[in-house]
Amino acid sequence: MLKLIGGFIAGLVFVGVLAYNFMGSLMFREIPSPFGVEETVARIQQNIQNAGNGWTLAGLRNPAKAVEADGGNALPVMMVEACSTKYSGPILRDDTVRFLSILMPCKISVYKKNDGKTYIGMMNAGLMGKMFGPLVGGIMGQVAKDQAKFVQFDASKPAPPMIKATPGAGAGGAPGAGGGC
Amino acid sequence: MSSRTRIALSALVAGAALAVLTAFATTAPAPVVAAKPGAAGTTAPAVPAATGEKKESISTADHSKFKELQKEFKSGPEVTKACLTCHTEAAKQIQKTQHWTWEFLNPDTKQTLGKKHIINNFCTAVESNQKFCTACHIGYGWEDQKFDFTKQENVDCLVCHESTGTYRKIPGLSGHPPYKDMEFPPHTGKIVKAPDLAKVAQSVGKTSRANCGACHFYGGGGDAVKHGDLDSTLKNPGKYLDIHMDKKGLNFTCGTCHMTAGHKVPGSRYAPTAADIKDAAPHLRGKMVTTNPATCQACHGAKPHPAKMARLNDHTSKLACQTCHIPEYARGQPTKMSWDWSTAGKLTPEGKPFKVQGSDGHDAYDSKKGNFTWESHVIPEYIWFNGKVDYTLSDTKLDPTKVVQINRFEGSPNDGKSLIWPVKVFHGQQPYDTVNKTLIVPHTFGADDSAYWTNFDWDKSLAEGMKVAGIPYSGQYGFVKTEMSWPITHMVAPKADALSCAQCHSKNGRLKGVQGIYMPGRDSNKMLDIFGWGIALLALIGVLIHGGIRIITRKHEG
Repeated sequence: MLKLIGGFIAGLVFVGVLAYNFMGSLMFREIPSPFGVEETVARIQQNIQNAGNGWTLAGLRNPAKAVEADGGNALPVMMVEACSTKYSGPILRDDTVRFLSILMPCKISVYKKNDGKTYIGMMNAGLMGKMFGPLVGGIMGQVAKDQAKFVQFDASKPAPPMIKATPGAGAGGAPGAGGGC
Repeated sequence: MSSRTRIALSALVAGAALAVLTAFATTAPAPVVAAKPGAAGTTAPAVPAATGEKKESISTADHSKFKELQKEFKSGPEVTKACLTCHTEAAKQIQKTQHWTWEFLNPDTKQTLGKKHIINNFCTAVESNQKFCTACHIGYGWEDQKFDFTKQENVDCLVCHESTGTYRKIPGLSGHPPYKDMEFPPHTGKIVKAPDLAKVAQSVGKTSRANCGACHFYGGGGDAVKHGDLDSTLKNPGKYLDIHMDKKGLNFTCGTCHMTAGHKVPGSRYAPTAADIKDAAPHLRGKMVTTNPATCQACHGAKPHPAKMARLNDHTSKLACQTCHIPEYARGQPTKMSWDWSTAGKLTPEGKPFKVQGSDGHDAYDSKKGNFTWESHVIPEYIWFNGKVDYTLSDTKLDPTKVVQINRFEGSPNDGKSLIWPVKVFHGQQPYDTVNKTLIVPHTFGADDSAYWTNFDWDKSLAEGMKVAGIPYSGQYGFVKTEMSWPITHMVAPKADALSCAQCHSKNGRLKGVQGIYMPGRDSNKMLDIFGWGIALLALIGVLIHGGIRIITRKHEG
């Protein structure tokens, strides 16, 4: 009996350690960008606008500016926010999963690191969605497919301008009706 | 497999499955706590409103009360004549400085430098383009080689001392401000107002950041183009951008460090101070010193860190202060990082020049100048630097198969004079003489037929530029890749933002390319590593053997 309980606890610990080490990288993805921060943002914005499925730009945040305003420095970070009512609507109408509105709008972070290169950070929407039942899992699976298209770049096309002000977005970048969320 | 083992394995799998299910289970949302009224959606604190109070002047002279300045001035030189009635020696002092001559004889290399002589990889050269370039000369009327450098009224007092912010020298006017309203840049519809010279003259005072910045922030043909650590965001910088110039803090002007005497401004990039005197104690302002007052050590000394951080003081014999304390440059706005002249000259189907903007709103292409790249928050490159700089001048033979270094920073880990410095390396592609193997002076500005920005004809432009400069030219040209380095020394970050130990002491840290020094964390010695790991392995074996014996002997005793 002691061995049974010991094995059970060891299993729990084993999975706990695994989860502790890998969950972060499973839930979030980081990929390098071949472009600078502004151009990466601009190309993602363009891809979102061309993605269909109701996707609209919801805002552009620059959290590093708040650090600067407080007298400190942070390497550039810009968060592109996008929303599709096609995907957000069913979740927002269901009381059991409405708390997931905290994940809205969909965010893609573009930032520079100390190696001087630009990176793109995203939530792994597909895996995250699976945790919340079939409705959310299905929707987030679709979101993940669209999200993958947002970060596919065609370097042969000229760099589009970065859209700093999003129609419908407030001062902080959070949108009202314009963003759809 | 025994039943005991099977039971143990089953329990392990069951535990794992339970743990996975628990991890993936939907968690109930936490109770909502109402936000405090007025709480904002951002973490940034509100910026205190400016008081709007006018700072009381501590000057003993109010220039608006001087009769010499209470008249209508028609030109800059007229104002200078009025200034010289009291400041009798000022123009003579100015005329001995690099700000006036645009010349500097480097005593170490014996090279004659200065804007008048060097060919850089930005706008390239002054010769034949004086009317345009001398918008940044502290004088009036330098439009060609006939300019009289001895005439005192040609000195421009206002550009360094006015405080209205309305006095602006426009490229193309040979150093004069516009004396009537004019459209600038041409064909943009933007009107530059002619300054009220009397008002400007009466406003004079100590040189401010905006005065120095009128030229030094716009070097290389525009805001933030050249230096990387000097741009218009330093006119009124926040604490994050420059701890010394912080407008709400120390509020240093340029002159606080570049402590000027007799109009001679110390701290030239043509003869930089790479390392201050060893073990320098901070010499406070007002003391008679002969060393460069614009170094960090001039105020902070050679051991600037407090006792609890004394380890950092051991770094000062190898690292320039700037290396740690300016972690990135161009933190206020992007700086130009490359300029490719070889793509210049493309025109619209109608034969008009055009510009293309990049994603950040800066020009990525200009028919007059070619392609550019820009970047903000740039991680510097790091080099050993002893203060000696060699330039590729108009008579220096170059190797077009290699990247030509416009200026080569000398330094070595072993010469006892060098420190590791952060630099901006600017990449260019510019015309060179394919026969004589020298850089070329292009004639870019002017209404004449040979000016590149008028006719987009390299043959005519290069021939005219070289003819005016008096440099032999074969008539054959190509484009060569070039590099120009700029020491980073402004935009000092708050101490909390200085580089941390691990940012250098790691395999892929900031100093990974700096040779000639052993850095723990970055470097390793194979033999030493094998020895160390061997010791660790032996210790582990020893522990296992010891523990094993203890377990076995205990079982026997039991």
